[in-house]
Amino acid sequence: MNRAISRIFVVGAILFVALIANLTWIMVVRAAWFEDRPENKRGIAKELKIKRGELLGFDGSTIAGAVRRSGYYYRDYPQGTLAPQLLGYDSVRYGRSGIEQQLNDVLTGKSTDLGVQSWVDRILGRRPKGADVRLTLVPAVQKVAQKALAGQKGAVVVLDPRTGALIASASAPTYEPAALERRWARLSTDREAPLLDRPTQGLYPPGSAFKVVTAAAALDSGKVTPSTEFVDTGTYVVFGGKVTNYGGAVFGPNDFTTALTYSINTTFARVGNLLARRRLIAAMQRFGFYEVPPLPLPSGEVVASGRYGNKGLLGPDAFMDPLAVAWAACGQEQVLATPLQMALAAAAVANGGRVMKPYYTQEIVSAAGDVVLRAAPEQWLVAMKPATASTLSTMMQRVVNAGTGTAAALEGIQVAGKSGTAERGDGTNLAWFIAFAPADDPRVALAIVIEDTQSTGGELAAPLAGAVLKAALAQPALP
Amino acid sequence: MSRRNVELLFLVIAGAVSTMAYVSVYAGRFREIDRVSIIYGLIFVAIFFALHLLVRFALPQADPFLLPLTALLAAVGLTEIFRIRPALALTQGQWLLVGAALFVLTVLVVRDHMRLDRYRYLMGALGLALLVVTIVLGTTINGAKLWIHAFGMSIQPSEFAKLAIVVFLAGYLDDKKVMLSVPTRHVLGVPLPAAKYFGPLLVMWVLSLAMLVFMKDFGMALLYMSIFVALMYMATARIAYVVVGGGLFAAAAALAVGIVPHVQDRFDVWLDPWPRAASSGYQLLQSLFTIADGGVLGAGFGRGFLLYANRQPVVPDLQTDFIFAAIANEMGLLGAAGIVLLYLLFMWRGFRIAVFAPDGFSKLLAAGLAFAFGLQTFIILGGVTRLIPLTGITLPFVSYGGSSITANLMLVALLLMVSHRTNVVLGGSDLERRRLAERG
Repeated sequence: MNRAISRIFVVGAILFVALIANLTWIMVVRAAWFEDRPENKRGIAKELKIKRGELLGFDGSTIAGAVRRSGYYYRDYPQGTLAPQLLGYDSVRYGRSGIEQQLNDVLTGKSTDLGVQSWVDRILGRRPKGADVRLTLVPAVQKVAQKALAGQKGAVVVLDPRTGALIASASAPTYEPAALERRWARLSTDREAPLLDRPTQGLYPPGSAFKVVTAAAALDSGKVTPSTEFVDTGTYVVFGGKVTNYGGAVFGPNDFTTALTYSINTTFARVGNLLARRRLIAAMQRFGFYEVPPLPLPSGEVVASGRYGNKGLLGPDAFMDPLAVAWAACGQEQVLATPLQMALAAAAVANGGRVMKPYYTQEIVSAAGDVVLRAAPEQWLVAMKPATASTLSTMMQRVVNAGTGTAAALEGIQVAGKSGTAERGDGTNLAWFIAFAPADDPRVALAIVIEDTQSTGGELAAPLAGAVLKAALAQPALP
Repeated sequence: MSRRNVELLFLVIAGAVSTMAYVSVYAGRFREIDRVSIIYGLIFVAIFFALHLLVRFALPQADPFLLPLTALLAAVGLTEIFRIRPALALTQGQWLLVGAALFVLTVLVVRDHMRLDRYRYLMGALGLALLVVTIVLGTTINGAKLWIHAFGMSIQPSEFAKLAIVVFLAGYLDDKKVMLSVPTRHVLGVPLPAAKYFGPLLVMWVLSLAMLVFMKDFGMALLYMSIFVALMYMATARIAYVVVGGGLFAAAAALAVGIVPHVQDRFDVWLDPWPRAASSGYQLLQSLFTIADGGVLGAGFGRGFLLYANRQPVVPDLQTDFIFAAIANEMGLLGAAGIVLLYLLFMWRGFRIAVFAPDGFSKLLAAGLAFAFGLQTFIILGGVTRLIPLTGITLPFVSYGGSSITANLMLVALLLMVSHRTNVVLGGSDLERRRLAERG
């Protein structure tokens, strides 16, 4: 009997050793792994005790503030809905996203940029205080951009072409950030995706707005000048298929400037094949396509533009037949772009061909009131030669003065732009407009896209673009 | 040093450790404390001092380690409950008082555990009745039907039934062990004794199946079935019983997983909690996160992150089934492993008493109780750490819950009685032997 009793004890002891081994596994070996799991909201909940830094607009007004209730801090939004998809959320239940996630260490005072908490503070249990972040977002412009989208689906991105500073970033449909947790179930399952930040994550066929990229490639290559002559018969037959104009229009003889002014597909299709696949794709890469724009956001919250296949982004070397090249030159085929990328394209023309790195942090102010970081604009890419940029700017001014973009014209301010209407095949259009102003000294560049419409870019998006440009240029100060 | 002085010394050490933990929690939430909490501390010390005096008087040769281990575990439990929800600590303190009273009653009324053997069928019937009452009148909490409401309290009769059934099995198996180990026929190569000796044991098996199906509680069924199989094995030294018993239980469990959705759900969560992180897997994952957050040294008593801003615990049922998550968070790996070792030590003392016990009934009783205690601990600790599927069962002496602490104090009383008799028989004074004989 004693032997059996001893054996049972040994089995029991082994089980207890297994418990301790498993505890070691959880608490030491895999501790960091558990901490990093997105399902683990303990870190967020703990940080509720830290006064989270505020997110301020460029004008210094509070966009996302911190209020204290019974020892814990919560976000409040004194200006209501203001770029909630870009700012993101900081929720014990649903985790973090957007700028709230990206700048969490700064906002919670943990970042070493803010100076290290002394051991005296730590022993005394003094909690770190978060630093405030002043964004480049201008609330007045942001509000106009959001109003432009009201009742529709789409996105607006407004940049300073000279610096890359993000002046406004609107996504519709939108939501009230203060009510996020309450309405999470509906917001997260809504087919219209109000939580999605369309400016950085919405992939759309750019349609004719893409012709700016094709034109830059053509002018840069020297194969085409603004006055190169083409003849349009309404149809361009290539590689067993054909390219036609929007609405079946026929333009007859046209030069390259006219082709951009009226968005003549057959001419751009011919130009596309004049350039051939390699030069067109190389130009796209110079604009930033095929790369994730360096806007500092959590991984996956900014996506690359480019040609997409069934399995996502295709490589720049993926095969294209001449018909594909022809349609791609018109911004159709498998080309998809984010509103941010299209705004960067407009900004490249505005800034003499140089693409600046997009950013949203104007400055970081520590809890002690010191400015610990100030924005330093950096160049990202060179999209085209300065001469090409200047020529293209003149051509884009004609689009607004005499072509498909007249609705974007402003009194006393020369606007340069390009419309786009991408047909989705389900009977609806995407209405695009990309623009910058004032044309001779551009301070604002933008892209706007409206989903699910029957109108064209020139009819629907151009006037909204004009309104946003006007509001931005009326600001006393821009980043 | 006499056994009782060793016990006193360790009780003082346990008391000192407990006081430090308590003061730490006190400091952690200084502003929310009142006089009541200081009274707790004094009551706690008084209870265990009283129990020590009783043992000194009634069971002087009993094992000196069990009572200090109990005190330490109870102190950790009370401290952690106080830390999570102060109001509950008062209730738990009252239950500790009730448990101590039942400990005293058990020692004074039973006097010698050998007397229990005479009432073995009565004990078996009592255990069975407690379980049947639970199945018939029970209330379902968290999907399992383990509680009955009576006199304004929730009682978990299965905790007490466990003791009664171990007493019954120890007596019955000691009596029939020879018959049970001599096979009269073979079925599929497995030697089986005559059917009539199997009857009561089949009742046990059916009972544990009924617990699985009607109480919807895998843990309790596993506990009872394992107690039964382990005692069979210890009585007969026939591994065949373990194989057959394990096989029967596995088959029953596989069936139950299919027909009892609650059990199925727990099993799925165990296999992969991540897709169910916001629903049925939430509790287990929060438990793992809380444990992982403890690190090597832990946050310190009263300093871990265990309560949300609204005072809700980070893991649902933190003060009962998941109290170990709170302990691991605040005491770290060293503290958590230390607690596991305390349980192992407790189990070791129990089995040691069994090995030295002079007669079969005492051996089986002590080993059965120690096994039940150890396995229950393993089931809940393994559950909250995802070593085995989670099932709601209390952590002896530590979890919040009156039935658990009361029943386990009675378990300690029984082990001490076996230990006292053993030591007296093996090396006690003539006076002690005479007294023991008078008791029987």
